[in-house]
Amino acid sequence: MTTSAFATTAATAGEKKEYWRWEESAWVDETMNWRDAKFITAGIDVGSVSSQAVVVCDGKLFGYSSMRTGSNSPDSARNAIKAVIEKCGMTLDNIHFVVGTGYGRVNVPFAHKAITEIACHARGANFMGGSAIRTILDMGGQDCKAIHCDEKGKVTNFLMNDKCAAGTGRGMEVIADLMQIPIAELGPRSFDVDEEPAAVSSVCVVFAKSEALGLLKAGWSKNKVVAAYCQAMAERVVALLERIGVEKEFFITGGIAKNPGVVRRIERILKLEAVKTKYDSQIAGALGAALFGYTLVQKQGVPAKAAAS
Amino acid sequence: MSGLFDQFKQWYDKRHDYARAWKARTGGTVVATMCTYTPEELLIAAGMLPVRVLGAHEPQNVTEPHIFGMFCPFCRDSLAQGLLGRYAYAEGVTLTQSCIQYRQTFNSWRAHVPTVKWDYYLPMPNEVQSPHAKKLHREEVRKFRAFLETTLGRKIPDADLKQAIETVNKNRRLLKQLFDFRKEENPRVTGLEALYASITAQFIDKADHNRELERVIAEVKKRPNDRDEGVRLMTIGSENDDCGFMAMIESVGCTIVIDDQCSGTRNFWNEAQIKDDPIVTIADRYCERPACPTKDYPAHTRFDHVLKLAKDYNARAAIFLQQKFCDPHEGDYPDLKKHLESNGIPTLFLEFDITNPLGPFRIRVEAFLETLREEELF
Repeated sequence: MTTSAFATTAATAGEKKEYWRWEESAWVDETMNWRDAKFITAGIDVGSVSSQAVVVCDGKLFGYSSMRTGSNSPDSARNAIKAVIEKCGMTLDNIHFVVGTGYGRVNVPFAHKAITEIACHARGANFMGGSAIRTILDMGGQDCKAIHCDEKGKVTNFLMNDKCAAGTGRGMEVIADLMQIPIAELGPRSFDVDEEPAAVSSVCVVFAKSEALGLLKAGWSKNKVVAAYCQAMAERVVALLERIGVEKEFFITGGIAKNPGVVRRIERILKLEAVKTKYDSQIAGALGAALFGYTLVQKQGVPAKAAAS
Repeated sequence: MSGLFDQFKQWYDKRHDYARAWKARTGGTVVATMCTYTPEELLIAAGMLPVRVLGAHEPQNVTEPHIFGMFCPFCRDSLAQGLLGRYAYAEGVTLTQSCIQYRQTFNSWRAHVPTVKWDYYLPMPNEVQSPHAKKLHREEVRKFRAFLETTLGRKIPDADLKQAIETVNKNRRLLKQLFDFRKEENPRVTGLEALYASITAQFIDKADHNRELERVIAEVKKRPNDRDEGVRLMTIGSENDDCGFMAMIESVGCTIVIDDQCSGTRNFWNEAQIKDDPIVTIADRYCERPACPTKDYPAHTRFDHVLKLAKDYNARAAIFLQQKFCDPHEGDYPDLKKHLESNGIPTLFLEFDITNPLGPFRIRVEAFLETLREEELF
């Protein structure tokens, strides 16, 4: 799948380089004609850090966007869906059913239903990784979830990290800024070390930041510090996974799934390879929401009046 | 929540105002009580108002010098209320032995809350299943009576004890009647309403509370069963009076139909069985009540009790409201979870702190409800 990006890399803002800033993107399948679809459904995942919109035509992925979450959920939802539909001449009125998910799920103004991201990630992972997926690790912007599901992608058990957001995407952004390494390069560079270091002792963003500075002063290379942070993050999420148990097949969703520095270390600790996918792991929640929308519209019909945007 | 339960809610919200007004009105002594094993019949017979210490669910910074940060949030929040002077009207403070963490709250309270005029530690046996437990506890309750008599400077007659037993038993009976409405389909009493009624029984004058319960029960009967119950849930844990949390979960498609918590059923479930000696009546009742995990060994009597409650009230699933670092409840959790799940009651675990993150909790509760009813999505 090509993920042509309309959106900006936005690596710079004024003079200051924003190393944490990941690439916003939008994509539509130009081989499909959405006008041929009987049912067009959308899922909007408004997360704490990023927002995704996915459009599904008769149960098939048609397009998506992945954008940064703004200061309010309704605008973030509108921004995300706009990024997809403007690429293909679609309007909100063409979408038969919209499901909101993520932290802002109840504040998606044009959604017909809200479903938790836990259910949606499982459904999305089932689509992206296949029906053999039984364990999902969702590493989001400010939380982390371990989910078990059945062959249909129905959640059977789940765990979330507690109050602290340590070891999540936002922490990785802070480290990117601190190390002055673009966030997309953190993973690959974490393997460019002579010897794999032990994990930093804390994944707490504040403590890790102090510890990282101390290590740099002690003569560690940036890559080695990043490797130690990736290892710490991997150990933390594996601890969460072990509380629920890891059953094959194993799948990772969320933004950090794009960071091989964390993913490969998780796999190394678990001695289990995560199922790879051709799709963008960050859209799993919105994709699951859109697929639920498709099921619901088939069962319940098109809602009498589309919700206002 | 309709206006029917407003009096309970107002009592809960303004509990300190109520206690101060009671004291001004009656000239009596208010006693801060810790743990629901306190034999409040004695205090009532002595003309006192037992007021159970509760937390305020607010961030605080006063307990750190007195109690470990890894003691449970309820211990720390309770102690904070004393140190902040919120119970300045309470001259006495008592603890009946339950857990070691709460004992530290009590010890620190009696040492550092300047308004305390007297304190009493009642060393109730934790092994209530021992054949010697009741005998021991009766003697301890007698000692407590003697202490109160010395404090008062007069005897507490048996007749007053019997009257107090009757009043408290009536309160237990009325609460149970109110809770019976929760067995119905689309129950006429929500979990939040039931919590307001049961928690206020722990600090409002029982005569006032009984009158209000009688009024509310008569009115509840006229209520229609028209609230969609959603998923019927049970809550399990130690103390819980986080009304914001209860309101939140009942707003996302479920109804709390029963609990096993000391803020709810564990406190009032069994009436005292009347015997000739009122001290025996009182002491035995506390040994026989539904057990807190601190008093539930070697046999785990509460496992079947909890399951029976779930079945009797037709709970579809249960949520463990675990106070962080509460070792007794956490110790029971793995086996109790297994017991419920193997009997068809799925469970969710939430860890409670002084303040709770309602947003993330909401996601977990909603996701849990989805696992119970998400067939429509597949």
